[in-house]
Amino acid sequence: MNKVDKKTLKLAANRLMFDMSEEEYDRLVSEFDLIIEQMNLISDIEGVDDVSPMSFPFEQTFTYLREDEVKDVLSTEEVIRNAKDVKGSQIKLPRVIK
Amino acid sequence: MDFEPVIGIEIHAQLKTKSKMFSSAPVSFGDRPNSNVAPLDIAFPGALPTVNKEAIIYAIRVCHALNMKIDDLLVFDRKNYFYSDLPKGYQLTQYFRPIGKDGYLTLKSNIFEKKIGIERLHIEEDTCKQIHEADYSLLDYNRSGIPLLEIVSLPEISSGLEAQKFVEEVRSILTFLDVSDGKMENGSLRCDVNVSLREKGSNKLGTKVEIKNLNSFSNIQKAIDFEIDRQKSLLLDGKKLKQETRRFDENRQETVLMRVKVDDVDYKYFTDPNIVPIRLSEAFIKKAIEDMPELASSKHNRYLSYGLNEYDANLLVSSKEISDFFDEGIKTGVNPKSLANWVIQDVFSYLNKEDINIKESKVSALNLCELISFIEKNEISNKQAREVFAKMTISGHTAKEIILENNMSQMNDEKLLSEIRLILP
Amino acid sequence: MRYLSKPLKEIHDAILRNEVTPLDLVKEGLSYVGKDNNNAFEYICNKEAIDAVNKLDSSKKNSLLYGVPIVIKDCFSTKSIPTTASSNMLSDYIPCFDAEVVTRLKNAGAIIIGKTTMDELAMGGSGTSGRKGMTYNPWDKRRKHIIGGSSCGSAAAVSSGLTPIGIGSDTGDSVRKPASYSGLVGFKPTWGRISRYGMFQFASSLDHVAYFTRNVFDSAYLLNVLAGHDNKDFSSGYEDVIDYTKDLSKSIKGKRIAVIKEVLDCCSPKTIECFNKTLDQLRVEGAIVDIVSIDEKILKAIYPTYFIISSSEATSNNANLDGLKFGSRCEGNSFEEVMINTRTKCFSPLIKRRFIIGSLSLSKTHREELFVRAQKCRRLIVDSFNKVFEKYDFIYCPASPTTAPLFKGYNPRFNGDVNVADNYLAFANFGGNPSITIPIGFENNMPFGGNFTAKPHFDSELLNVASILEKHTGLMNLVKENE
Repeated sequence: MNKVDKKTLKLAANRLMFDMSEEEYDRLVSEFDLIIEQMNLISDIEGVDDVSPMSFPFEQTFTYLREDEVKDVLSTEEVIRNAKDVKGSQIKLPRVIK
Repeated sequence: MDFEPVIGIEIHAQLKTKSKMFSSAPVSFGDRPNSNVAPLDIAFPGALPTVNKEAIIYAIRVCHALNMKIDDLLVFDRKNYFYSDLPKGYQLTQYFRPIGKDGYLTLKSNIFEKKIGIERLHIEEDTCKQIHEADYSLLDYNRSGIPLLEIVSLPEISSGLEAQKFVEEVRSILTFLDVSDGKMENGSLRCDVNVSLREKGSNKLGTKVEIKNLNSFSNIQKAIDFEIDRQKSLLLDGKKLKQETRRFDENRQETVLMRVKVDDVDYKYFTDPNIVPIRLSEAFIKKAIEDMPELASSKHNRYLSYGLNEYDANLLVSSKEISDFFDEGIKTGVNPKSLANWVIQDVFSYLNKEDINIKESKVSALNLCELISFIEKNEISNKQAREVFAKMTISGHTAKEIILENNMSQMNDEKLLSEIRLILP
Repeated sequence: MRYLSKPLKEIHDAILRNEVTPLDLVKEGLSYVGKDNNNAFEYICNKEAIDAVNKLDSSKKNSLLYGVPIVIKDCFSTKSIPTTASSNMLSDYIPCFDAEVVTRLKNAGAIIIGKTTMDELAMGGSGTSGRKGMTYNPWDKRRKHIIGGSSCGSAAAVSSGLTPIGIGSDTGDSVRKPASYSGLVGFKPTWGRISRYGMFQFASSLDHVAYFTRNVFDSAYLLNVLAGHDNKDFSSGYEDVIDYTKDLSKSIKGKRIAVIKEVLDCCSPKTIECFNKTLDQLRVEGAIVDIVSIDEKILKAIYPTYFIISSSEATSNNANLDGLKFGSRCEGNSFEEVMINTRTKCFSPLIKRRFIIGSLSLSKTHREELFVRAQKCRRLIVDSFNKVFEKYDFIYCPASPTTAPLFKGYNPRFNGDVNVADNYLAFANFGGNPSITIPIGFENNMPFGGNFTAKPHFDSELLNVASILEKHTGLMNLVKENE
């Protein structure tokens, strides 16, 4: 796998809705290089691409499904209590006037 | 150059379960904002998803009605993106293993019959609601987490009319199965279409344009027809089409650009590790299908077998409520043709006059059948019956009550007369 | 008289003898917690704990946790008590619901007296990246050695004798490693054995509720209280909850124990020396101990595999922290600006770097080579260890290459020099195996531990072998009081 450049990292950060300082991006470029190096080593391990990926610690399936009943509803106060800006019973966000 | 339209449709249907897809908060509309919210619906840290059994049963039934292969392993995936109406920053959906695959729907009319392939049906959840004011927006999490079914057709639809029929047919299935309200006006049924043109005889697909936020059946046809013409003109002019997202402007009766499609958005799908895959037993799936309410197509055939004609049968299955009303009447043993006539003529015109739907009818199916039985037993005449019916629509009383109240019974007169005749020499 | 530095049974006996009351215990706890100088606490429950102990239901008196103050890592949702995950993003977040473990602890009569510090959002292994800075190791009064992480605060609290139990979480080794550095028993049960409902998620397929105690019995008892299926957690297991204290003294004669050569070889001479002594002790008990080999390529793959999978899942799990509905919020003219300003300001650079790595690993361009390959490698690693478990009941190795590293020069960043013994414990997260660290020795007055791991669902057997060894080493109930 090829190295990842700073531009790609910045784009990834922006898509994650944050930004970092230039120095941090520089540090990340070298950190990422190391990761790619390690992952390249992994690609050399015999059989690694032949097995199926693992999403869970062990193979198991369950059968339980939740009954369609209403319970555990929060009060409106609990829902909005932690929000910084509220109007009535709704959470308020700023909006750009187009 | 001759072009043929290639149209695909994506439908989202809200399910009318009691609780949400992944939480136990209620599915309910018009309530005070933020009164139907569980921790997961607002993505408080540490909240975990739980899978709603009834929603799965509904999904199985729709899959069956759409002739789909049902996957007996339930797996959920995350669709990751940031938006103000997406509290977790991801939507739980089924990207890798939809519950239904490879189905079809048959569009029937007097003149043609066409099978439209359905690629997939999967389960996902709704976003929260935003109200936009001038310089602020308000978030209401009541809708967040309501179950959605997404149904994706193969691009085998060839016209605006076919598309509209397709969506109407899906709506019929959803409403007859009683899994969704299927109302485009209030968002319980949503429809996006993809339209492209392909040179006749060629395999090469044209540029796809997406039309979103269609809010009525007729707009589906209009939007697509307009779009086909628009694309045709551009192509015949030698111009190139851009991949766009458009919407239908009702005032101008045209599709209008919303945004140009830049890249395919990367949703970074991966399987949700909080829901260990769920094995649906054969018995569970079988029972879900066995207990399924009757579909319109099946009712239609049944009505034909009663001797009704095609036209009448179609009218009676035009909505689930009407067919349920009719079926309730049939159970009394009344003559189906008589009942059909009364429903289609008298009941329908009453509903139209009062501008109500059949659920609001003051005349119940049972009461109507009682009225019809009096006619059949010659206890009142057809003319009298119409008068009685008119009174029933006002007072809500039964036929018997009204007949007695108004001394309308022929039978009583005849009986009295025959008794008098016995006495007199 | 100090009670909270003692084992659960002794505290409980004192309560039954009316030598001490739950209120006394809570006052003792709050007093010592208030004087903590290891930066172990995000929040001290001064009022809440007194309220709780005053409302304590005496019908619970038979529970060993009755009236016992405990501390919980600040990534567990506690109703009406601030929960920050040691992140500036959540500095004023107050949950409206309890995590399942909190509910079960309260039902058993335990009293929560503090929320402990951690590496921010559980991402880290140094105990230095939380918003309040470094947590110190009570064993080193000169404050030169880390205590590890991410469950640093709970480790510091229990090892300095503030409470007998500290709840934490273990996603790669976040309880079992600090346990080694602070002379504690650090236990991570089988994945799904304890409900994760209400535990802030770091990497859900690797996350486990885990905890610190000072002896194996207390760990086993706590499992009785916390284990069991929870309908609110669709990853929680259905196995019966047995009495995990019942078979602690059972003979381990004939049990087969595998030591991984490649891990042992990376340890300090003193660690190896102490460790080998414990092997003799296990043999005296009749266990069969063999040195086995696992392909070093596989062992060296553990850390990068862990890094990629955990960063990827973490990016998604923390996407709810957007400044809109709870937690910190920075100004902006649109919701996008609010999100960007908040996430830029309130996440530390370490967290951001992990998120970017995770996000790129999941991206269409890199997915196959990074995320999917890591998931495949996870299977290879689990298969390799399972091969050992085909012939052996336990895998037993030093829990860390040596004692706690120094703060100076400690690099929490991903670096290419992978010491296998420093980074192998994550295999038990990959495979959901129950795994426990117990103290086995000291070097320069700093403790270090040994780690047993068993097959999934063999929690009772695991606790058994750890308990037997503990009797031999005598290294239990170790406390290094704060001055």
